[in-house]
Amino acid sequence: MRRSIVWTVLQREWFETVRNRLLMSTILLPPILLTVAPILLTAAIGASSLPPELEQQVLAQRPEWASFTPGELAGAFAVQQFLVFFLLMPAYIPLSIATFSIIGEKQARSLEPVLAAPIRTSELLAGKAVAALVPGVLAGWMTYAIFVVLASLLYGPALFGVVTDPSWLAGVFLLGPAVGLSSVVAGVIVSARVNDPRVAQQIGGVVIVPVIALVLLQATGTLLVGPVGYTLLAIIVLALSIVGLRIGVRLFDREAILTRWR
Amino acid sequence: MDGSGQSTELALTADGLGRAFDDRWAVRGISLAVRRGEVVGLLGPNGAGKTTTVRMLTALIRPTEGTATVDGFDVGADPESVRTRVGILTETPGLYDKLSAAANLDFFGRLYGLTADVRAERIERYLRLFSLWDRRDDLAATFSKGMKQKLAIARALLHDPSVVFLDEPTAALDPEAAFIVREAIETLRKAGRTIVLATHNLDEADRLCDRIAFIRGGLLRIDSPAALRGALDGHGLSVRLREAATSAQVGAVRAVHGVRGAEMGDGVLRVGADEPQSVAPDVIRALVASGADIVEVRPEQASLERVYFEIMGVTPGADSLEDHV
Repeated sequence: MRRSIVWTVLQREWFETVRNRLLMSTILLPPILLTVAPILLTAAIGASSLPPELEQQVLAQRPEWASFTPGELAGAFAVQQFLVFFLLMPAYIPLSIATFSIIGEKQARSLEPVLAAPIRTSELLAGKAVAALVPGVLAGWMTYAIFVVLASLLYGPALFGVVTDPSWLAGVFLLGPAVGLSSVVAGVIVSARVNDPRVAQQIGGVVIVPVIALVLLQATGTLLVGPVGYTLLAIIVLALSIVGLRIGVRLFDREAILTRWR
Repeated sequence: MDGSGQSTELALTADGLGRAFDDRWAVRGISLAVRRGEVVGLLGPNGAGKTTTVRMLTALIRPTEGTATVDGFDVGADPESVRTRVGILTETPGLYDKLSAAANLDFFGRLYGLTADVRAERIERYLRLFSLWDRRDDLAATFSKGMKQKLAIARALLHDPSVVFLDEPTAALDPEAAFIVREAIETLRKAGRTIVLATHNLDEADRLCDRIAFIRGGLLRIDSPAALRGALDGHGLSVRLREAATSAQVGAVRAVHGVRGAEMGDGVLRVGADEPQSVAPDVIRALVASGADIVEVRPEQASLERVYFEIMGVTPGADSLEDHV
């Protein structure tokens, strides 16, 4: 694979992405909301304390939080629920970019001249995948960094410790990118079959369902996932993504694009 | 000889080329050889297999049977080498609307591995050639259809390909845009480019091509426009006289060697001949000697449209609208 060709494709993808207002709004707006909302919600909840039964349940699951004040405990419980947002961002942003990129090319019939050039399918797909994946992962990480800074400034060291514990770090820095890759793969596979980016996003959004399920299980205490669990999940998602990528590469075959994409 | 050990005389060859989709043949039995600097038209109706042929010859899709080479490189065995040696204008321009004209070309120049200096020089050369230089920084989305098509042709030429494939370059264009694009192709033709032009526009093929390949599911016939016309009956001379020819004058013409027949009608004497230009001086001499006043002499040829219908086996109007009214 020639990196210069991948880089050329990637640069063009980004160039077009930043000129697509609709796409940019779907990329930029949610991270802003997802940074502000947890902070505000945590502030609202942190002013009160948890119901005694819930407090006991939370402490049973998280004995390391036993030293927290009732306010800190309520804040820690609230903020814990927002880990899902930092997994959702690397999931939906790449999905948006990948589907817009591939279906946009389908609609403009711009892939045929590209495929007529001496570019390999793997190089084209790699350029598109990286161009879609990187903004989502970076947005997730940057939002998380801002979130950590704001949480520690506004709510002190207790919450800072909560949002930087190993399970958060594994979730944000390992599972997040893996979910992002699975999202790109879903975008490629679905975009090969449909002609409307919104439909592709809705179908591709299926990859987000397991993430939401995971966090719901975690929030209700049904399944507590620690750093090892997140790491294992990241490996599983990565493996599934690689399998999906093989399917995606087959669907992205030159002949299939030229003769079957309509 | 070129790098692959093939004759440099031929830019493109095809031998028994065919492609099936599932169990249906789109086209088969395409055999042709295109010399360097030659303009060859692929003429046929919609669905005849022109685009499939172009896609096989440009290594975009694999042939099901047969072989083809560009500069000696086999389209099936070495598609990447073929792609570096061909330029293609696809049915739709397929430009990136949110990129400027220059940025569109620059992107493709990079895909073809051109250095920054070469890209800059060629982008300027081709944008100037097609009168787009002043619009180089404008987004492709703001271009008219004709301008987009010219930009797409510039894109196909950027890497200096051995063979340029133009697939329906004027389809879906209004007459003005089509004229602009034909002028652009004429410019390439004069510059000695090897061009394969897929079209169903008879006039376009007639004006621009050295040879025309008639395709309908396969190669029906390939020849120069003049030879194609000459193969049909009705080839001859049309002589307009001041007064209607007498039977003696018609008889004098019929007696000329090489003349198949002569007939007066609508004030014009129609002279049948296999080689009209050879017999013209003798026909003129015979008429003048018999006292006829000649106003005009023209070679009379079958129209390419008639040639097209003849080769395609189509009877125009056989299922005409009138039958259904």
